[in-house]
Amino acid sequence: MDEAPGLSDQYRTASPWPVFVALGIPISELGLLFDLFPLAVGGLLLFTGSVAGMLRESGYVKSTMWSLAVLAGILFVFGGVLAFTDVNLVTRGYAVIVAGVLLLVGGVVFELFVRDQRQAI
Amino acid sequence: MEVNGQLALTVLMGIFLIAVAAWLARVEDWRSYTPLAGGGAVGSTEQYVSEEKPSGVIRWLTTVDHKDIGILYGAYGLIAFAVGGLMVVVMRLELADPASTLISNTFYNSLLTSHGITMLFLFGTPIIAAFSNYFIPLLIGADDMAFPRINAIAFWLLPPAALLIWAGFFPIPDVIPAQTAWTMYTPLSAGAGSGNQMNAGVDLMLLGLHLSGVSATMGAINFIATIFTERNEKVTWANLDIFSWTILTQSGLILFAFPLLGSAILMLLLDRNFGTMFFAVDGGAILWQHLFWFFGHPEVYILVLPPMGIVSLVLPRFAGRRLFGFKFVVYSTLAIGVLSFGVWAHHMFATGIDPRLRASFMAVSLAIAIPSAVKTFNWITTMWNGKIRLTTPMLFCIGFVSNFIIGGVTGVFLASIPVDLVLHDTYYVVGHFHYIVMGAIAFAGFAGIYYWFPLYTGRMYQVTLGKWHFWLSMVGTNLTFFVMVLLGYGGMPRRYATYLPQFATLHQIATVGALILLAGQIIFVWNFVQSWLEGPKVEDGDPWDLADDDLLTSEWHWFDRKLQTAVADGGEEEAELATDGGERIDDSQSSSDVSSDGGEPVDETDVASDE
Repeated sequence: MDEAPGLSDQYRTASPWPVFVALGIPISELGLLFDLFPLAVGGLLLFTGSVAGMLRESGYVKSTMWSLAVLAGILFVFGGVLAFTDVNLVTRGYAVIVAGVLLLVGGVVFELFVRDQRQAI
Repeated sequence: MEVNGQLALTVLMGIFLIAVAAWLARVEDWRSYTPLAGGGAVGSTEQYVSEEKPSGVIRWLTTVDHKDIGILYGAYGLIAFAVGGLMVVVMRLELADPASTLISNTFYNSLLTSHGITMLFLFGTPIIAAFSNYFIPLLIGADDMAFPRINAIAFWLLPPAALLIWAGFFPIPDVIPAQTAWTMYTPLSAGAGSGNQMNAGVDLMLLGLHLSGVSATMGAINFIATIFTERNEKVTWANLDIFSWTILTQSGLILFAFPLLGSAILMLLLDRNFGTMFFAVDGGAILWQHLFWFFGHPEVYILVLPPMGIVSLVLPRFAGRRLFGFKFVVYSTLAIGVLSFGVWAHHMFATGIDPRLRASFMAVSLAIAIPSAVKTFNWITTMWNGKIRLTTPMLFCIGFVSNFIIGGVTGVFLASIPVDLVLHDTYYVVGHFHYIVMGAIAFAGFAGIYYWFPLYTGRMYQVTLGKWHFWLSMVGTNLTFFVMVLLGYGGMPRRYATYLPQFATLHQIATVGALILLAGQIIFVWNFVQSWLEGPKVEDGDPWDLADDDLLTSEWHWFDRKLQTAVADGGEEEAELATDGGERIDDSQSSSDVSSDGGEPVDETDVASDE
């Protein structure tokens, strides 16, 4: 069996990811606009994590960790621009960077533990 | 206190994310290992293994099937229609007498703002997406949309968008509803001055609007990709159906218009929250009007082209002949699509912009009446000498044409600068565009809902209630909005909760009209829900007898296959062929009138292009 087959394996016309992609966008927007740190971090994690999951499920990428790493890289750049340039939205920038760090950690943990476990089964 | 708030938020967000992760892990296990474990995983048994979708609520949350998403869009659109409709009922009741008696002026302004945004962005666009999602893949012979998951994302962005747009009405401390009107003109919407529009409620509304724009753009990209790449090999550009053409054009308009709205909204949010000066110093208040209407006028055609497509598809089915001048209906669609980007400043004739600019926009605005008239004449000519069957969808199509003519002709006058300067910002404008959005767009939506009701529910609606719905809607629409045209001639300005006593009679007539509309829509909801649950089952793949006139389109072939391959459950009521009442007239006529109806088949080229 495939390493991490999609829900579509069984249910060809179902996927768990879209609803969370769609939830992640407004939550992160609210967090960033009103400077609510936890909402910004959580929303970005939900959004980027679901995007990575969906990319994996639909077969556009092979490795979940790498897509998470790329997404984290994008967050680092965006957060860096917010926090360290003339834009000067420091706490919002840090929120984005923290989300990137958590995402990267999540990717590594998934790669080291979860994926192997799955293969073992 | 501040730290406690952040802490609580962090804990809540953490719990939410863990819950999401746990749920996803369950779904993952369930999907991956059930086949091996023989049904041991959570909430699943072997019987699901070979099925296409999970069961229960999970099915609707996880579906990427275009038909399911179409139904979700439809349900969403109708709920938004009910909310927006009830808002305006409260407003019309307030307007039953000149003073401010029922609600406060500020609450009236809030309802006015939300009614417009709800109807345009949460009802209009989604209800069109409901039809296009369900039927475009069936009409063009595709398995599904080009990007099914993006399709699902586009839908699921809408419920949060609605919650944000309505957030001001919820009992959240310190948040009030936006009172900017749907056009959100600066400097009011930028929070300038001593008003209360600096409130977070306006920010939430802007975010919600932004989300709905993202959703529409995703949907548009998906439809363009689907119609270009997923067509069955038998479906060529030459025989692509009219509804797909209008959706393709609409998607192109969305692609150019909505990202601009999104950018303008972000600029407004930056002005409000981060100290930028886009609409204060840099471009001034007029910049917002240019950006907004560069989106806003194409938005009108985004909303009206697909309903025109529905009418172009449905009306010929009950006129017993193919659409007259099919090619010219397609050309006029494309022409409207192109011209729609060159008319935006006709909303700004009274702002004092350069008169030479004004004249050019007047010319293009008058010119866009030509392709619109081409369509109208083609619909009329399609019906001319046809074998008309006055079924409910057909009634709504004819109502569409009738109301579109009044809405269109009043619009031509507004396109003329001297007339516009007199009628600008009066009820004439409100009457004009409501003839289009309610009288035309919503009517075409109802035509589609009734026409395909047997297909997506497998049941037939109640014919008499359908007729009641049409006639109450037709009378209510014309009563309410024609009176508004008259009020505008009298000089009644738009957007006010109070008015001078001289306008009282006409306002009261408009309120009566709105209540008649309400009664019609209550009948519709009852008919829709009850018939879906308990209506007689449709046993025939061609419930409208379209095959007799060789007018069957591919979605009905699909429906017929579905009926034939369905497993007979045997436990249902007697097989009753359910038809609309208009059918009977046809039955009595079809045998005797066939040779003399004058609407006999047109030439071969037309036959080829309408299918």
